[in-house]
Amino acid sequence: MSHHLPALIFLLPFLAAICMPMVGLKNPGWCWPMAIAVVFAMSVASIANVVVVMDSGEIRYAFSGWAPPIGIEWVDDGLASIIMVTLSLLALISLINAGPTSPSTLGQRIVPYYTLILLLVSGMTGIIFAGDLFNIFVFLEVSALSGYALVGVAGGKALMSAFRYLILGTFGASLYLLGVGYFYAATGTLNMADLGQRIPELMTSKAVVGGLIFMFIGLGIKMALIPLHGWLPDAYTHAPEAISPFLASLVTKVALLAWIRIMFWVVGANAEIEHVPVLFLLEELGALTAVVGAFLALTQHEVKRMFAYGGISHIGLILIGVGIGNPTGFAGGVFYLINDAVMQAALFFLAGAAMYQYGVRSIEDLGRLRGQAPWMTGALIIMAMSMVGLPPTGGFFGKWYIVLGALEAQHYLAVAAVIISTILTLAFFIKLFERIFRDSQPSSGIISVEAPFSIKVSVGTASAAIILLGLFSDPIMGFLLESALPPGL
Amino acid sequence: MIQPHDSVLVQTLGRLLIPLIQLFGLYVLFFGQYGPGGGFVGGVLLGTSVILAILIFGPRSSHSALATKIIRGDGLGLIIFAGVGGLCLIGGGEFLNYADLEIPGLKTASRRYVGILLTQIGVAIDVAVTAISIVISLSFNDNDEDSHV
Repeated sequence: MSHHLPALIFLLPFLAAICMPMVGLKNPGWCWPMAIAVVFAMSVASIANVVVVMDSGEIRYAFSGWAPPIGIEWVDDGLASIIMVTLSLLALISLINAGPTSPSTLGQRIVPYYTLILLLVSGMTGIIFAGDLFNIFVFLEVSALSGYALVGVAGGKALMSAFRYLILGTFGASLYLLGVGYFYAATGTLNMADLGQRIPELMTSKAVVGGLIFMFIGLGIKMALIPLHGWLPDAYTHAPEAISPFLASLVTKVALLAWIRIMFWVVGANAEIEHVPVLFLLEELGALTAVVGAFLALTQHEVKRMFAYGGISHIGLILIGVGIGNPTGFAGGVFYLINDAVMQAALFFLAGAAMYQYGVRSIEDLGRLRGQAPWMTGALIIMAMSMVGLPPTGGFFGKWYIVLGALEAQHYLAVAAVIISTILTLAFFIKLFERIFRDSQPSSGIISVEAPFSIKVSVGTASAAIILLGLFSDPIMGFLLESALPPGL
Repeated sequence: MIQPHDSVLVQTLGRLLIPLIQLFGLYVLFFGQYGPGGGFVGGVLLGTSVILAILIFGPRSSHSALATKIIRGDGLGLIIFAGVGGLCLIGGGEFLNYADLEIPGLKTASRRYVGILLTQIGVAIDVAVTAISIVISLSFNDNDEDSHV
């Protein structure tokens, strides 16, 4: 039975999304608890899945019983299983947070709203498990289409951001599909394991190189690398408070994971284009994104926008990690990906809670928190420690292994980029804390609303998780180094 | 808002064509395992016949009553599809491995036949409903809650 787990993990949110309109027809109030129950079941299944993968190695699931190169295959290895646990648990706490913070203007549309959230989760599950390039495209579109609709669900300014996200996201998906077409034309197969044997010897072919570049630009738009990041800050800032955590913590990371799969499992870590190693290019792009993203974050005035640019900068750090091309760097990058997903979720929970309770939008408003919200400020301090990289938080260990990997490989430029982005991150958090602790704006006379229990639960869980990730970094890194490494690294 | 078409010629031809399209749609759906066709094409044909009825007789007439009711069964096709897949899963095989569809008294070949047919019907229902719902949402939801946001 245990080898059906990857299929079950995907089917749970997908089937629930299909059934949701029928359940919600009579009782729209049931949608939220039902979504939570389903994602909870999914989290239990993914934890069981990681245990099974640890015990008996990777699971390859052939749908309909057709053997892989012909049929559709799902690959559930160490990397996929541990990212799956991250995704399902984060989706669970984001859903708990989503109940009270969802836009109040939804009315009857609350039913399609939760349907879309579940479709978003199942689409991302599909990207994580997909064993062939075309299914990555399908699920990229499933999650992206739900994402566009969810960004624009509140109407007003968000519609404009959602439209921009839609145009750029569709452009990215089309480029990706074009690249997949080139690969298919060159090899006649879409299965990753099969491609992995054929592509490395075809790296001199212009079709393959062109396809690889198209796929990278397509996924680069989805993961918001620096020159391609235009859609992200607006979409995250104007999306409903309940939706930003989903998008910020998961969507870009899953696109990055899809690229990691293609880069290491299909093209191979040693691939070169005209004697330039592809990984080296990735690392440099990551360094650029990390530094420029953090710098742009420093110049922002809105809290959510600042966190969004911080997230872009961290995508760069993850790329540096995986681009170094040695096991320490790769595992450090993946570990940082997990940490960053938790940190981004927590930061947007906090931004949402501050907005909900004290109406905080811009950094100037943060003075309202002083003396009012000790727990919220405490959680923000923990997040700042992790974003900057102070022990014992998870962010420290992620950066530590990335820098360690870079030093092992003697890539001093990457080390410099990590350090500069860290200093810039520290600077923008100092800007935030200066407002909270030193600002002279009177904090009295502001009407505050008591936060519902579910917001407190999600903020608290995320803050605890980031410390736990730091404390248990050793076993997680051990697991990543042992069973999540790509072949040939 | 779509108005009924008042030409006798169009209405009479529509009465003739709609059942023919539906019949052909069903043929394509059930023939799909042996030749070109299947759930997707069959579903599009079935949907087209209902869209034609809306265009000719208007959305309020009794000829289009099916269209406005069918829209509520949006996920029905997917539930059939996933249900068949789930039954295979319960039978011990992979998701959608029809050989493990536990139907007593059937050999493996017949099981595959029934399995494919059922999933194709599910696909057809969903494609048809989607096609109809696109037409309906573009044409006659003028004053729903979205318009005054």
